[in-house]
Amino acid sequence: MEPAIRLQPGKGRQVLICRGTGCESQKANLIFASLEKEMDKAGLNGSVELKFTGCHGLCQMGPTIMVMPAGTFYCNVTPDDVSEIVEMDLVKGERVERLLFLDPKTKDRVLDYRDMNFFKPQRRIVLRNCGFINPEAIDDYLAAGGYEGIKKALKMTQQEVIDEMKRSGLRGRGGGGFPTGMKWEFANRSVADQKYIICNADEGDPGAFMDRAVLEGDPHSVLEGMMIGGYTIGATKAYVYVRAEYPMAYERTVLAIDQARERGFLGKNIFGSNFDFDIKVKLGAGAFVCGEETALMGSIEGKRGMPMPRPPFPAVKGLFGKPTNINNVETFANIPVILTRGGDWFAEVGTEKSKGTKVFALAGKITNSGLVEIPMGTPLRTIVEDIGGGIPNKRKFKAAQTGGPSGGCLPFNHYDVPMDYENLTALGAIMGSGRLIITDENTCMVDMAKFFLTFTQKESCGKCVPCRLGTKNMLEILTDIANGKGTMAQLAQLTELAEDVKAGSLCGLGQTAPNPALSTVRHFREEYEAHILRHECPARVCVRLLKFEVNADKCTKCGTCYKACPAEAITWRKKEVATIDKEKCIACRSCILACRFHAID
Amino acid sequence: MREKLQEVFARHHGSRDALIPVLQEIQGVFGYLPPEAMDAAARFCRISPVEVYGVATFYAQFKFDPVGRNTIMVCQGTACHVMGGARILEEVMNQLKVQPSQTTEDGRFTLETVACIGACALAPAMFVNKDTHGRMKPEKIAEILNGAGN
Amino acid sequence: MNNDIISLTVNGKDFREKKIQGKKGQTVLEVFRDNGIPVPTLCHHPKMPPYGGCRLCIVEIENMRGLPPSCTTPATDGMVISTHTERLARVRKTVLELLVAYGDHNCLFCEMNGNCELQNLVYEHGVNTIRFKTDFVPRPKDESNPMIIRDQNKCVLCGRCVRACQNVQVNGVIDVAARGSNSFITTFNNTPLMDSNCVSCGECVQSCPVGALTEKKANGLGRAWETEKVRTTCTYCGVGCQQWLHVKDGRITKVTGVEDGAPNKGRLCVKGRFGYEFIYSEDRLKTPIIKENGGFREASWDEALDLVASKFKEIIAKHGPDAVAGTSSSRSINEDSYQMQKLFRTAFGTNNIDNCARVCHAPTVAGLAKSFGSGAMTNSFSDFAKAKMILVIGCNATEAHPVAGTYLKNAVANGAEMIVADPRRIELADLAALHVPLKVGSDIAFLNAIMNVLINENLYDKEYVASCTDGFEALKAKVMEYPPEKVADIVGVSAEMIRDVARRMASVKPALLVYTLGITEHTCGMNNVMSCANVQMLLGNVGFEGGGVNPIRGQNNVQGACDMGALPNLFPGYQRVDDPKAQEKFKAAWKVKSLPDKPGIMLPEMLEGCATGKIKAFYIFGENLANTEPDIKHVEHCLESAEFLVCQDNFPTETTRFADVIFPAAAWSEDNGTFASSERRVSRVRTVSKAPGIAKPNWWIFRELARRFGQVWESDSGKDLWDNEISVLSPPFAGIKYSRIEEDGLQWPCPTETHPGTPIMHKDGKFTCGRGQFQAIDWTPPAEVPDKEYPFVLCTGRRLYHYHTRTQTGRCEGLNVLLGEETVDMSPQDAKKLNIEHGEFVRVRSRRGEVKVKAKVTDKMQEGNVWMAFHFREGCANWLTNPVFDLVTKTAEYKACAVQVEKIV
Repeated sequence: MEPAIRLQPGKGRQVLICRGTGCESQKANLIFASLEKEMDKAGLNGSVELKFTGCHGLCQMGPTIMVMPAGTFYCNVTPDDVSEIVEMDLVKGERVERLLFLDPKTKDRVLDYRDMNFFKPQRRIVLRNCGFINPEAIDDYLAAGGYEGIKKALKMTQQEVIDEMKRSGLRGRGGGGFPTGMKWEFANRSVADQKYIICNADEGDPGAFMDRAVLEGDPHSVLEGMMIGGYTIGATKAYVYVRAEYPMAYERTVLAIDQARERGFLGKNIFGSNFDFDIKVKLGAGAFVCGEETALMGSIEGKRGMPMPRPPFPAVKGLFGKPTNINNVETFANIPVILTRGGDWFAEVGTEKSKGTKVFALAGKITNSGLVEIPMGTPLRTIVEDIGGGIPNKRKFKAAQTGGPSGGCLPFNHYDVPMDYENLTALGAIMGSGRLIITDENTCMVDMAKFFLTFTQKESCGKCVPCRLGTKNMLEILTDIANGKGTMAQLAQLTELAEDVKAGSLCGLGQTAPNPALSTVRHFREEYEAHILRHECPARVCVRLLKFEVNADKCTKCGTCYKACPAEAITWRKKEVATIDKEKCIACRSCILACRFHAID
Repeated sequence: MREKLQEVFARHHGSRDALIPVLQEIQGVFGYLPPEAMDAAARFCRISPVEVYGVATFYAQFKFDPVGRNTIMVCQGTACHVMGGARILEEVMNQLKVQPSQTTEDGRFTLETVACIGACALAPAMFVNKDTHGRMKPEKIAEILNGAGN
Repeated sequence: MNNDIISLTVNGKDFREKKIQGKKGQTVLEVFRDNGIPVPTLCHHPKMPPYGGCRLCIVEIENMRGLPPSCTTPATDGMVISTHTERLARVRKTVLELLVAYGDHNCLFCEMNGNCELQNLVYEHGVNTIRFKTDFVPRPKDESNPMIIRDQNKCVLCGRCVRACQNVQVNGVIDVAARGSNSFITTFNNTPLMDSNCVSCGECVQSCPVGALTEKKANGLGRAWETEKVRTTCTYCGVGCQQWLHVKDGRITKVTGVEDGAPNKGRLCVKGRFGYEFIYSEDRLKTPIIKENGGFREASWDEALDLVASKFKEIIAKHGPDAVAGTSSSRSINEDSYQMQKLFRTAFGTNNIDNCARVCHAPTVAGLAKSFGSGAMTNSFSDFAKAKMILVIGCNATEAHPVAGTYLKNAVANGAEMIVADPRRIELADLAALHVPLKVGSDIAFLNAIMNVLINENLYDKEYVASCTDGFEALKAKVMEYPPEKVADIVGVSAEMIRDVARRMASVKPALLVYTLGITEHTCGMNNVMSCANVQMLLGNVGFEGGGVNPIRGQNNVQGACDMGALPNLFPGYQRVDDPKAQEKFKAAWKVKSLPDKPGIMLPEMLEGCATGKIKAFYIFGENLANTEPDIKHVEHCLESAEFLVCQDNFPTETTRFADVIFPAAAWSEDNGTFASSERRVSRVRTVSKAPGIAKPNWWIFRELARRFGQVWESDSGKDLWDNEISVLSPPFAGIKYSRIEEDGLQWPCPTETHPGTPIMHKDGKFTCGRGQFQAIDWTPPAEVPDKEYPFVLCTGRRLYHYHTRTQTGRCEGLNVLLGEETVDMSPQDAKKLNIEHGEFVRVRSRRGEVKVKAKVTDKMQEGNVWMAFHFREGCANWLTNPVFDLVTKTAEYKACAVQVEKIV
């Protein structure tokens, strides 16, 4: 992992505590308060700087505290641990061994975060500041070289910036992967009295949270990217559209804008140029489809978030009918670095057609869930095994689901696929905004497809028929299959319908909604057939197909199931096979999940 | 009600693009969108009341009935689903004896589901008002509900 | 070459490659439609913004990803498009199957069977089984509204009804609620339609491609293939909407708008669409009736006609021709009015012929003639939507002229600024940039002050004034007496607001002015009209698209009745009766030795004459004077006093009670003819069925009477009358022939048979009379102002759901449900002062009479004013109104009298 930035040299020791949504929900606020108090008590106020930061990615281990410059990384800290950390580490200079990261493979404690397998293969460009700077202090961002990109851009012509962007090869990180330089060029070529820049922070794909982390951890980098974009296309007004479920991201973005405005970085004649630029934040109201750019613009205008057919493209006719350029948070966060370091530098990272890095939100059946940023082209196996620390409970990797409800899955036989736009698309999965859900043998692919369609079906705006009714019918078919009532004819119909919904839908939501179904049918057809022909759910997930009977041959009489049952439906005595009372059973699957021997059918 | 609405309107410019923020603030004040308030918002934003209704019903955030004193949100996002979010939801439904989007008879709790709150690393997650509870287990639910305000 | 022309290739890859051309700015679908390339659509409607939702008009375009819908994709030069590939067919078929699967589409039970776009598409695409099994759950129908049935189970969510309601009629009643497969069409808060703010215009029904919205009254009366469509012109207000009458076995089953017809482009209002079946009422007059021994008895035509002829002859012989008088109907066709004035002038020898323009727009006819040289609306309705700045003064268009109102609302939606000057906060005021709640009867002071500002602030059009007008100096001197500060109290608004209006009006050019009876129905009505003309000339706004002075006429053919010379001073085509040249021309044409050359008397004088004995015989054609004239008690006294009263009508009315002879006449849709609308458009009216009993066309009745006076008239139909007489004798209509107005009508002046008609008069400031004439005018207050005893100003007008005295609308199912009784509208402040609750019965009393009505407390009223209509006999405003008249044109001051209101304890 490339050390972030200039870490305020001369300031000496720092204690960094993560206060992103993840850690904050685990009482990071109390830990911070306690640290303040204990450090004060220990008389460390002048010599050690206490700072809260955004997310550094390893949410699984939160709340975390990092002591710099040593790079000591304390995991799962509780308020009770604070006095010990202060006393041992900060005062005496000794590490609190028990809180250090435990490598899941070697079972060693890791002394410096730079040696952690989680961080090592990562390359941080987007998340360069996350976890290292205080997101609520503009000076921290400036000290990290912030706002140098826009200053540089303002000395260039618009075309020069576009050329630099094209050289970088940056492609939109929201999912489409459209070259950003070209997108800017289109918007730049439109002639109008007013143009707009929009930052799409309506990160709605369930499972993705990189945009939230960037806004929570480094909001100024996004603002700076927007400013560069604004200058380049000739826009003076901008919006950040943040989804309603991200209160902290919203607040920190608003604060960052206020600070930037206070410094004169936003407003009239910024940085002494004749370029005016200002940004407003709009809060979404709970509609996944508003991640689609035309729906998003409708939402800003106060309308139902219904997508509009394109063309006309937003670059020609966008927000309030004016030329508009929309990029997502991650895309914007890349841009200041491209300006300061140059497009060529950026283009060295990644593969031939997919440049730079990609942030993935790693979750599901994985040891280290969290945010990871890797060079494009990193193999899936590296992500799962090294960074992710493998699948917990010694279970087997089954597939990685990418692209959320728009994406598909990468089964084990593609474990070594280099992760970039082209490879993922070729396999029927997509990069999307970078969700990466790891599944194991206990995940049912029919259930997975059904889950995603439940989601898209609910989030469909309803405007076009294929999406409104097609996804509904697909869901009904999947429900039938999951309930053991499906037929092979329906399975054929499912794929036929899926193709028509893909082809016929108005916007990206509908055009990609069938992907999870298509992809699971493609890679896990036998699982579908098991549901249909044998009325069996091999992963033991589809409740209607489960018998809730203990298989005496496989049962080791361990009693785990007995302990797991919340309904007291299981009878078990030591050294005896457990029995399940079907009257009392609530079909919650607790026993099945608990049993490590697949002894419950 | 009129005064409270006027306070909300005073913070905005009366045009259509103010509609969603205005509705969000109205819901912030009343906990839901009373019909009279939607009507007033329509006048303020210079659109017809039915358009306000059309917009409000489009977005999952808006409520049309008074809500309980505490809102329980159970995440049903992908990560939470894979990690057993459905069980958490089931258990909350059991304990509160309500379906999602309903309010308990005593008005103490409203149960909601949410597609993804972005706390995927903490899956499964649930929220009581603004507090996040990650890595939920069914047996932790009773205690969390008891801890909520009356 | 022309840069705006683009070329496209269609179905190049398949058979039948076609090169087609379109215009830049068109969508692919528009180019297809112009070139006859078939592409299926469902959510598309040519008069609505494109939607792109149904996914049926999808095509494949080279170098474009996916399947773009042709309805939203801009056509560009060189496009290579395929319209019917296998892939497209498959998606379309799937879309159709899904729609059918998730709905209750049983054509056997459906009113739209045979007229359903979904049914057609399913057939055309060869869908014969539905693959999809679904969990569709039906929802209950909404049958609350008396006119419209909503059946969501047939809804395909194409959104056409929503766009019809929001973008076309701009009523904002329905929208799409929720999302995804839960989406449905809703009213505000999802109430039944009847409890919403729906005005039942039925635009949504007309735009619905399936059976989700149907006309309740049409249900079961006939299906598409059983009915024929007859085009006609609406019988209600002066907009002249074009209708299709759907007819089965000679009976109208329903009415729809003519989508490509001018002026309404398919739009209709609740009356136009649903107010048709009065013609089938059992109350219709079916035979001539003669009064005998205080009672009425049926008579034969010969007996009745002979009686009237002999009685008129007797009176003329005894008292001279000017002892007889008549008023023509502004409701009936042009040909009838022509025939009646001809009867009076040739057979009776008098110019005592008038029409009910007298009670509404006589000040317009005279005032605008004086200012511009022609007394008609200067521009067209289609101009309303194109205007960028609009002053609406004394005009409640959304109720009185709903379709005209839609164009004003369209203009605002298109970005126009509208200023509404009206004592009431009418619906248009809600859309206006500025509402000026001026006091009743203060218009001249208001308009003079505006002109004062325009001149003092140098905001007027000096060049236009200098080159196109006369009388500026006198006008300037006069309006200098009206600085805003001085008139603020008279007008009841601040000087600042007046200045604001002036500045706004001057900020955009041209600005359009619309007025109706709020301007004319005053003792100073003609002066009001000329003041409006002054403002528009001063701003240089007359003679341009989106500008002009636009009075909207009240009755369907009040323009025509005037055009036809049913006026005491004018022959047909606005030729003066005292002009010797005109005299010669008409004598020759009508084959008579003499014609009266002294202008006759006007309607109020006729009525008064009945009481004073000056008028002995009075002939009322299609008017219900006993309800429409001010001070009913007095009017009834006059009618009672007439020595011989003839009424010719469709129904027995309050007026026919006084008649000695009643002629039963054919009604609208029972005769062929023409109406002339406000925008001077002469449009066809057509026969659907014969009049009931032995009722006859009006022109026939007049001809038969003339025959008894020795006149032999050859014309035997509306067409004969128009083509051979009216257009030949009237230069403004000379170029209009029935053959030219089979579809859209023509706007006069239309001097030759190749002339395209005149959408905009006084083009570029070249006035009919040469130069526009400024008139220096002083403000005068209404004749009766409030005092201690009668502290409120009563203003009167029309309401949406009824028309005049309800002879027609009162006999249409549903309209009485939508509005069942009269109310007195008053402000919450006044109601509070008088301790009156909304819906409570109150007594409204003037110096002339009193009525008992319910109070309607509404913040649309300003303090000190009350408002009533004259639709219901009980609670008719005319029991109270003041019979004082404009000095020149004799239009009554319906808009202002003093009343008291009290709670009935």
